[in-house]
Amino acid sequence: MAGLLLPYSGGFAAVVVLQVVGAVAGLAPLLAVVELGRVFLSSDPVDHDHVWTVVAVGAIGLFVRLVFQAASSGVGHVLDGRVQLSFRRRLAARLGRVPIGWLSARPRGELAKVVGEDVSAVHPFIAHAPGELISAFVVPLVSLVYLFTVDWRMTLITLIPVVLAVALVPLMMTPTRLREQAEFDTAMGRIANSVVEFVQGIAVVKAFGGAERAHRRFRTATDDFVTVFYRMVRGLSAVAAGMQVALSPPFVLLVVLVGGAVLVTDGGMAAADLLPFLLLGLGLTAPVAALGHGFDGLQAARRAVGRIREVLAVRPLPEPARPVAPRGHLVELRDVRFAYQDGHEVLRGIDLVLEPGTVTAVVGPSGSGKSTLVQLLPRFFDPTHGTVSLGGVDLREIGSRELYRNVSFVFQDVRLLRASVADNIALAVPDAGRDAVERAARRANIHDRILELPRGYDTVIGDEAGLSGGEAQRISIARALLAATPVLVLDEATAFADPQTEQAVRRALAPEGDRSVLVIAHRLETIADADTVVMLENGTVVERGDPSELLAQDGRFAAFWRSNQAAIADESEARGVPRGGEAR
Amino acid sequence: MIRMLLRVLGHRYAGPVRRTVALMTATAVVEGLSYALLVPVLRELFGSTPSDARPWLIAFGAAVAVYAALRYVSDLSGFRVGTTLLHGMYHRLGDHLARLPIGWYGAGRVGEVSVLASSGVLQAMSVIAHLLAPSISACVTPLTIVAVILAFNWQMGLAALAAVPLVAAVQLWTGRLTAATDAERAEHDQQAAGRVVEYLRAQPVLRAGGRSAERFQTLDDSLREVQRASRRTVLSTLPGVLGLTLTVQAAFTALLVLGAHLALGGDIGAAEVLAILVLAARCADPLLSLSDIGGQLHGARSELGRLDKVLRTEPLPEPGEPVRPSRHDLEFDAVTFRHGDRTVIDGVSLTVPQGRRLAVVGPSGAGKSTLLQLIARFYDVDGGAVRVGGVDVRDVDSAVLMEQIAIVFQDVYLFEGTIEENVRLGRPDADDAEVRAAATAARLDEVVERLPAGWATEVGEGGALLSGGERQRVSIARALLKDAPIVLLDEVTSALDPVNEAAVHDGIERLMAGRTVVMVAHRMRTVRRADRIAFLDGGRIAHEGDHEELLRSSARYADYWNISQTPV
Repeated sequence: MAGLLLPYSGGFAAVVVLQVVGAVAGLAPLLAVVELGRVFLSSDPVDHDHVWTVVAVGAIGLFVRLVFQAASSGVGHVLDGRVQLSFRRRLAARLGRVPIGWLSARPRGELAKVVGEDVSAVHPFIAHAPGELISAFVVPLVSLVYLFTVDWRMTLITLIPVVLAVALVPLMMTPTRLREQAEFDTAMGRIANSVVEFVQGIAVVKAFGGAERAHRRFRTATDDFVTVFYRMVRGLSAVAAGMQVALSPPFVLLVVLVGGAVLVTDGGMAAADLLPFLLLGLGLTAPVAALGHGFDGLQAARRAVGRIREVLAVRPLPEPARPVAPRGHLVELRDVRFAYQDGHEVLRGIDLVLEPGTVTAVVGPSGSGKSTLVQLLPRFFDPTHGTVSLGGVDLREIGSRELYRNVSFVFQDVRLLRASVADNIALAVPDAGRDAVERAARRANIHDRILELPRGYDTVIGDEAGLSGGEAQRISIARALLAATPVLVLDEATAFADPQTEQAVRRALAPEGDRSVLVIAHRLETIADADTVVMLENGTVVERGDPSELLAQDGRFAAFWRSNQAAIADESEARGVPRGGEAR
Repeated sequence: MIRMLLRVLGHRYAGPVRRTVALMTATAVVEGLSYALLVPVLRELFGSTPSDARPWLIAFGAAVAVYAALRYVSDLSGFRVGTTLLHGMYHRLGDHLARLPIGWYGAGRVGEVSVLASSGVLQAMSVIAHLLAPSISACVTPLTIVAVILAFNWQMGLAALAAVPLVAAVQLWTGRLTAATDAERAEHDQQAAGRVVEYLRAQPVLRAGGRSAERFQTLDDSLREVQRASRRTVLSTLPGVLGLTLTVQAAFTALLVLGAHLALGGDIGAAEVLAILVLAARCADPLLSLSDIGGQLHGARSELGRLDKVLRTEPLPEPGEPVRPSRHDLEFDAVTFRHGDRTVIDGVSLTVPQGRRLAVVGPSGAGKSTLLQLIARFYDVDGGAVRVGGVDVRDVDSAVLMEQIAIVFQDVYLFEGTIEENVRLGRPDADDAEVRAAATAARLDEVVERLPAGWATEVGEGGALLSGGERQRVSIARALLKDAPIVLLDEVTSALDPVNEAAVHDGIERLMAGRTVVMVAHRMRTVRRADRIAFLDGGRIAHEGDHEELLRSSARYADYWNISQTPV
């Protein structure tokens, strides 16, 4: 944090100086009234010129205060804007380098909140806190010094309300209060949980008559919260209200006047000396009030800064210092292990070779580690143990540009850019001609749909037109077809699959030159057509080999195969020609 | 502001709030009036016999005591009312959320409402406890003091009075200025947030395309735009903030000059002038704090505005005299439904006889899921009618309608709790044997056997600890247990791998038996089993019939079918 702010220290100093000068100048009109009092109350004849000079000084003081505070506020906010921009840039730059796996593990909204709201929450920290907090202490200090020079006894009397208020502070910090604060936080958390259930599950809740239940849970959580809150407030409010009374202007004035009356009557203090205490005495309470108020915003800002630092502390995937070019494109996984969290391995010792020109299908129940396995190839993660290599070179030693020139992927979670359709397709091959782009689009079954868009291939996705999930998927297939990398990783997604998309997927999978394909297979045809099938269970390869040979062995894969045929049986029956249901 | 607050609170709480406001106003008036006693006190203290001030001091002391008591009571009342309101507000919001149509809960709503219903309510209610008293006293006390000054010296009183409309005008002007630029700023913030999300989501492809830097540029542009917008906000609100300070200070300076002039002319006693200037200084401080308070109120106001918006969203109307449908056939009668300005369903007429199955197919975005949602009355139609057993769904009590329908969605939401609790949700009074039977039929028993804690396995928030297929089996068991005569299936198997798909198919088959079914599906083999198939395109029924008829009559359908069958 300090490091982030260092380049702006000059600006901060300016804000503080301007604010302090302005605030101190604000004392001038009050001192002018004091001086007027001295002049009018003295027995000497009144010097008119002196009176007008005093008035002028007071007015100038006000003007100086106005100008300096405006300048301070202006500089502070401009500085704030710059600091926020630099925070956001740093965050964005860091997020552009963190492991994709790290990104996909957390809700995008949460990260957007860090870059947006959390950075904004730093605002009071930067624009207000330095100037305002410091002047909240400097001005009373200056006043105090001045008042001591006027009459030390009276100064002490004037401090009585402040002392009273400060004496009440420990009552707000007792263990009971702190415990109540903790209870408050937990109760708030319970509300948040119940409301998520209430809102997110609302369709199910209503469809299954569970509305009562979720509603009741929310009610219980809020009732509990209010009880906790009430207990906390009841404990605090008497003390807080007492503090407010002690610091209130009428009470301060009463103390000053009573003390003053005694000193003027019996202590030999000049009556005119009472005025500065009436005018400046009230300002002495400012630091106590600032302690109460200013810290609410700062607390929130501190939490926000914590979240920002957390993101900035994520280690990016290291880029090789001396990148090595892969020789050929044989992909090898050697004893690869991977764990998202310590002690919970998702992949447990995978050995796999993808020969050029072959299609390898990964099958297995959900949760067996299929997705994680294929995401290692485009280096969304680095394995926790073992190596993934391309053309004999560890992926960690290949520069990312070079890697992506060799490996392309089509995954389930398709995200298109807010850019033209053509740009989206040509993403990996920016210099591709329109012909090539259209050819890829045609093969991905999306060409006709693109022509229906308002400006065809130049339509900006998101701004001018939205595409459905299946259509987005076909765009991403076109992208991979155009890139024509020697290695393709594909998740045979089914989430948005419509017949056109399924056909596009099949085309992407078709053998082409010596391209090697690694596919998470969902359809039996894909599995049957693959050169090698890898059956994954619980993070380990339980069977591998040619699909028809594996069927003949009648092992795990064969059982898996049969359990799928039930679901698909009537398709072949409908066509009258048995196909797709059997390995060819 | 107060009006919006009262509206959000509803009539029940308006009374206590008004009482608290009255108490706070009284406190502020008493504070202002007590200062009137400063004039005689100072006159005596500055006079020849300071000890004469004693009776006036005692009077001032008494006034301060009254003020302190009132202040204490009104502070406590503020806290108490704030807490009561918090309670009432949570209940009101909860009741309202439970009545809003399901269609209202879009994707973006979940986060927004979650924040609103947890900390948002607290923030809005803190207005009463923390900001109400300072803002009332910042307005009322100076006004009272002006009246006091007027009573002691008409010239200075008039000068002070003249400042009142000026300060009020400047304050209003600032408020408008801030609101206008705030809206602009919020828009830029939102835009930037959108860009950030886009940038994050697109990371895999961006990196693959080696285009991170280029894309970063567009994000950077919008981050800069945020900075520029915030700078504009600062520059445009600065005159407002300064305007208030300038006005208040000019008024004080005018009083200073006028006081000096009057005192020099001998029109007024020195003690009075000094006392009035002390009073004027007492006016200035609270007025200057107005801009601060304004800023804080502003934050609370936007939260309050969001609450207000949610509470003003109308729930779907409940019928006055509900009708209970006696049959379970379904009918769409020239149904039109619009979402915003997009017509999602455009004049659809369809019937599903009791116990029959209708499959809805078509390209994504054709309105298939919406059709299902209209039966369950997630939304109300804009034209035509949806009927269950011949009764318009709008004439059926919503709880009764839901009793008739079991829905299985593509995305299954499970509640935090055990598997058993989640299944039981289908029919809370079911006995153990019925729960077990439903589980077996949904092939959930296999899953339960595999899990270490069996039926007592916690599913995690939203069901996150189970796999997609396992969650789907739970939801089918739930639907089976519910035993409703109408079954709606929304792309139930499309996100599943083959093993789970097979298992889920078995469950679905049992679920559909003997019931009226409407299913949305893209897997043509699932569709084929339906009695009728509707091919939906652009919100209209392009073709309708059974599989064989459609193959003959509809080229689009035949295309669909063929594409799904032919190899590359």
